[in-house]
Amino acid sequence: MTKGNHIGGDNLVIEDLNFAYSNNLKIFEKLNIDVKPGEFLAVLGPSGCGKTTFLNLLAGFYQPDSGTSQLRGEAITPEDPHLGYIFQAANLFPWLNTIENVEFGLRMTGMGPEKRREIALKNLEMVGLKGFEEFLPNKLSGGMRQRASIARALCLEPHLLLMDEPFSALDEILRDKMNDELLQLWDQLGQTIVFITHSIEEAIYLSDRILVLARPPGGIYKEVINKLPRPRDLRETKSSELFWEYKKELNNLIQEVQAQAPLDESEIAELELGAKNG
Amino acid sequence: MSAPAVEMKQDKKLDSDKEKITGWVNVIRNNASWSWVSLPSLFLVWMLVAIPFESYILPQPWEVADEAWNEMMFPTVSEVMDDDGEITIIPEADRPSVWKFIAKGEPSNALAHLFRGELWPHVGWSLLEEVGGFGAAIIFSVLFGFLAGFFKGFREYIVPLNGLFMAIPPIAWAPLMVIIFGLGYTTIVIVIFISAVNPMILTIMEGVLQIQGQEVRAARVLGARKWQLFLYVYLPASLPFVTAALRIGFSQAWRALVAAEMIGASVGLGYMVQTAGEVGNSRLVLLGITMIGLFSYLFERTLFRPIEKRYEVWRLE
Repeated sequence: MTKGNHIGGDNLVIEDLNFAYSNNLKIFEKLNIDVKPGEFLAVLGPSGCGKTTFLNLLAGFYQPDSGTSQLRGEAITPEDPHLGYIFQAANLFPWLNTIENVEFGLRMTGMGPEKRREIALKNLEMVGLKGFEEFLPNKLSGGMRQRASIARALCLEPHLLLMDEPFSALDEILRDKMNDELLQLWDQLGQTIVFITHSIEEAIYLSDRILVLARPPGGIYKEVINKLPRPRDLRETKSSELFWEYKKELNNLIQEVQAQAPLDESEIAELELGAKNG
Repeated sequence: MSAPAVEMKQDKKLDSDKEKITGWVNVIRNNASWSWVSLPSLFLVWMLVAIPFESYILPQPWEVADEAWNEMMFPTVSEVMDDDGEITIIPEADRPSVWKFIAKGEPSNALAHLFRGELWPHVGWSLLEEVGGFGAAIIFSVLFGFLAGFFKGFREYIVPLNGLFMAIPPIAWAPLMVIIFGLGYTTIVIVIFISAVNPMILTIMEGVLQIQGQEVRAARVLGARKWQLFLYVYLPASLPFVTAALRIGFSQAWRALVAAEMIGASVGLGYMVQTAGEVGNSRLVLLGITMIGLFSYLFERTLFRPIEKRYEVWRLE
């Protein structure tokens, strides 16, 4: 992996945000979050508590019923150039090859072909995909696809990266590796990251702060400040006492959330459907 | 990466020899297709079935081929109308033919009669009608198909109409069109258009609805504006089902064309088959049928297959 230039992060503020799919399916009530520039925030929660909805609201794919979510004091739209979004599936465009995929965002800005190729190549190299420029997405492995999608997002030098369980489709070994690489990238580039996951260990390993979402309707159940020292190393971090303390604490919190008046199956289905249709 | 590369080099010679052998075995194994049997078997059945029949009732394939040759190459003036309006049938021996001109030692006359057969106007007009009707159907179905895919209201409005038109056999419109527009080009083009445009609109609409929301969202967070979404996401993503729609539309149009020409035309392959049937010329009927099938096949191979090949590569398994 080659070194990237520091980009820096923006301040993300969510104030009194309310959101409901319908009258009897309220998801968030009075949600307040303040993410500092360059902070790595992990969001944890059992399935059906609105993790993806949360990210969709942040990105501006959904409009909140009331309240605001602002990046550097401005309301966020999906098209915001300061916003990068990494999806659970890589969502590469299958008709474009890897380098064309990575260039896509730059192409949308109207940048000339030579300049955007140069930037795309740099980013592709940064995620370790040099030599795969001409490959079509269906010829790449799952991990490589996700790397390409990260490079694609980084080309626009976003100040805020929203990541929706980006490595959950990968096997554990690859996932650990990708997490390490992500930390290295973040260390160099310094963006604000909001990282959704359902893996407690992943959340602890990566983040500065962990939010545990409550059962809907609600917001944040509890917040855990992660004081593990950086730079982190997976083996070292996992062998530290603090890591296991956090893990125990978060385990308990998740259990508590699950013990809250649970949603029934149909509500979860509706929630997931809503998330998909948006 | 470097260690396996060295190993690979050492084994390269051996591998290439092995590959030559296993390669050919695989070529045979993988490419052993039985499709080459289908056409010959059809001809074989045709020949067998035709044996008990007189040639003028059910001719053999080669007799049709002979007919094709004549129809393509030479003007067959078999009837002559004199000034009083009386029709005289010219005996076969007196008809002009390339062979006779050659035999007579008049090569320039022979050349002048080449490719002057009566088949060409029929083929030409049929193709022109197909281009007109199918072409109009492409423009309308792409426009309406995308609109119906994007806008729920328009979709709800147009789908019942498509269903209605698809429930009516297109040929049923032919007599009405003959009354309004008379025999000829306009009538045929309208019938073709009606038959092709409805399934095409539905196919394109279904395809637009299927374009993954995820790809669109990925493009949006990369800053794509509305027109860019259309140009760089919807358009390339729609290529597979637009091709499917073209295919469906073409075959619908071609069928309707032949049927419509039997009712509302004075030239064209359908008209040729119809009139040849009326005078009991089974060779010409079979020639017409063969030509209709042949053009369908040619369009498939030269137009639709190449387009399909382009997107087959990137389609995810």
